[in-house]
Amino acid sequence: MATLIGKRLVALFAVLCGLAVIVFVLQAVIPSDPARAMVGANASPEVVAAKAHELGYDKPLPERFADYLGRTVSGDLQSSLRTRNDVADDLRTFAPATLELALAASLLAGLIGVGLALALAAGGRAARVLRVVLVAGASVPGFLVGLLAILVFYSGLGLLPASGRVADTYVLPDGPTGLLLFDALVAGDPGVFFSALSHLVLPAFTLALVPALAIARTLATTLEQVMREDYVRTARAKGMRERAIILRHGLRNAAGPALTMGGLQFGLLLAGIVVVEQIFSWPGLGLYLNQSIAFSDFPAITGTTLMLGTAYVVVNFLVDVAQAAADPRIRTV
Amino acid sequence: MTRRTLSAVLLALAITVAGCGSTEKASSTGSSDVLRIPYLADMSVPDPDVFYDIEGDSVILNQYEGLLRYAPSSTRIVGSLAKSWTVSPDRLTYRFTLQPDVTFHSGAPLTSQAVKDAFQRRLDVNQAPSYMLAGVKSMSTPDDLTFVVKLKSPVNPFEAYMASSWGPKVIGPAAIKANAGKDFGQTWLRNHGDGTGPYKLTQFDRGRQYTLTRNDQYWSTKANFKTVLIKITPDIGTQRLELQNGGLDAIVKSFPASELASLPDSLVVQRKDANLRLLLYVNTNKAPFDDPAVRAGLRSTIDVEQLVEQAYAGTATKSVGAYPEALLAGQPDLPYAVDPAKAKAAGDKAKTKKITLAYTADESGVQRRVGELLQAKLKEAGFDVTLREVQLPDTYGYIKRLEQAPDLLLQTNTPDAAHPDTWARIVFYSTGGLNFFGFADKGVDTALDDALDAPEAEVNKLHLEAGQRVIDSDSIFFLGNVKDVFVLQKDLEGVESVPTYPWTISYAPLKRGGS
Repeated sequence: MATLIGKRLVALFAVLCGLAVIVFVLQAVIPSDPARAMVGANASPEVVAAKAHELGYDKPLPERFADYLGRTVSGDLQSSLRTRNDVADDLRTFAPATLELALAASLLAGLIGVGLALALAAGGRAARVLRVVLVAGASVPGFLVGLLAILVFYSGLGLLPASGRVADTYVLPDGPTGLLLFDALVAGDPGVFFSALSHLVLPAFTLALVPALAIARTLATTLEQVMREDYVRTARAKGMRERAIILRHGLRNAAGPALTMGGLQFGLLLAGIVVVEQIFSWPGLGLYLNQSIAFSDFPAITGTTLMLGTAYVVVNFLVDVAQAAADPRIRTV
Repeated sequence: MTRRTLSAVLLALAITVAGCGSTEKASSTGSSDVLRIPYLADMSVPDPDVFYDIEGDSVILNQYEGLLRYAPSSTRIVGSLAKSWTVSPDRLTYRFTLQPDVTFHSGAPLTSQAVKDAFQRRLDVNQAPSYMLAGVKSMSTPDDLTFVVKLKSPVNPFEAYMASSWGPKVIGPAAIKANAGKDFGQTWLRNHGDGTGPYKLTQFDRGRQYTLTRNDQYWSTKANFKTVLIKITPDIGTQRLELQNGGLDAIVKSFPASELASLPDSLVVQRKDANLRLLLYVNTNKAPFDDPAVRAGLRSTIDVEQLVEQAYAGTATKSVGAYPEALLAGQPDLPYAVDPAKAKAAGDKAKTKKITLAYTADESGVQRRVGELLQAKLKEAGFDVTLREVQLPDTYGYIKRLEQAPDLLLQTNTPDAAHPDTWARIVFYSTGGLNFFGFADKGVDTALDDALDAPEAEVNKLHLEAGQRVIDSDSIFFLGNVKDVFVLQKDLEGVESVPTYPWTISYAPLKRGGS
């Protein structure tokens, strides 16, 4: 297990280095002028040049790359050109909202995925219909699901809010984690808790839907194979109830591919966050990234990309470890 | 899942939905205490000496005041913190008499020294808006209510700068001194404020909302709404649904023109004059538009009336002259007449038919629509046009790579103030910040430099001359005057705006019908 973890950690470092290089190359080739954007249209060419010098944009590309790499490795993400805060501080402000949304969506994706897989494994006409729905559902873009959800549950039924993390009249609890549900519980504020929960439902569901369907399809397929295995037949022969067989033997042995799919889907979920946070006015990293792109705020874009990239790699690393824990054969790979 | 677990989950869901229902009721609009306005994006910083964008103007203008301002719906300059002012005959000395009994949000009194400190801070911070004070030679405070500014040489737009939304604002000196740090209080002002305006910034929750609370000690007419919540709602579709459902009181920016006709009865539209102008920049540094004959042909493809009518649906009018009309009187009609034969001839003459038409991203989608209409016309003339959406900072980079830059660029711009120099210097001057493709004409530069300190009677003449040269060059086409469009709840009254402060309304006079 230690060897596997070591190998994955090396791979994690390599992926992050690659990501840092890609982000730098992208910002180098985009014909933008953040210095001019900062000093304004009325600034003289001298003022623009001075600002470009201050930001280091007038240095030769290799020198800029060396600076950038040195700073990134030492954890200095520079200041945002737009908010003027340290990017690290901005990330600390926006990351909890994204983390809360991603956790809720992952939980929801897992629950819905397993639920649907079990329904599929039950077989029958309903399962066949469900299979068609799953294929169709997987091709629906996230933003469309989001807009439909807002139209139905906010505009139509008036049941759930369309935007934000909590009702605008509430003052947010002051920490400790930035995860509103947890903080509201710690602060003993049921108003904020329920408001935050209701605001979380639509964006989390929108984000969870596609991963849930993918997990469901994978798990259902593997479950069907597992349920034809000899040990399942033996369990049936011993008189075990079908539900107990599925839960005790089927799900555990079918979990591997679903976990891998879950890890892959987490990447898509992170990509989806940028769109979903935009639609639901969710004040997280996706919203921060969108605003930064519109301003060519390269330090902020770089910081956010590295953070989301790290999250993706770390989750896949954890999935690998979880798979190895579930299936000892993988530990030797 | 056991039945008990299932019941628990369903119960939790029911509580959530019930909880959210009550929460939303508590925060619904219609109250005469709370006004809810959306922003499409966070503002950069609420520091008036750093802020130089449009999203965020209302936070600055409702919190801070300058010496002068524009009267509602006009370009007439009136006093704000200055009760009156005089200009010396040589136009070098401005003497401002301050309003008495004005206090900052912190409770400190407004004095001429506070104004001087605020002006000095703008120079010290030296960010984008500081150019407005670049001509200042000295400042003095003969008494507590008199502030005198001496200029190095006459600056004709100086009063316009003082009235600009990005012009110098007076920040409480005690707050700045107490929080100066090493950056003249810039860190503190990123989420605090201390002005004299009708509202105080009481919460700045980046990404979520900003809270403005009524200044009950305001020296002039007090605001009606106790609280203004500015909510960051980046999707215009979500904004529209929230407005329709009563979750917002008004949308003042980027409402899609095509949807104005289908609004429910509970909402009203107000179209206000603004100094916003839709421009088509032409890259004259490479083929095909380096050829004046091809540019003249391009002029024959532009059907301004069609563009304005079809893309803007009544929220824009055809432009006259090279300057926003309110800035300069006596401008000529533009020589844009559709002539398919001339357009086709120019297309045939073009060295390359493949061109790129870029437009800056805007949430309403109107510039893309204009781009599509132009693309169709150019196609008829024989051009193969690729449309490309770009971000504003990208366009600033074109000047460094003119060969790689697009052939045409659509963008809506506005001057900093209602003075012709504030428009021409950034759009027409050879080093202007919004002169994206480096249009250069020595005659234009000379006219603008002369106009900066020319006697008042000659200023308009010089600007008309500069404008005519730009029109004749076919390097920039002036397509439309874009209006400010406000979509509001029907019961919202007292909407005041200023043409020079785009996409911004004054919150203080707003009130609900009957409140």
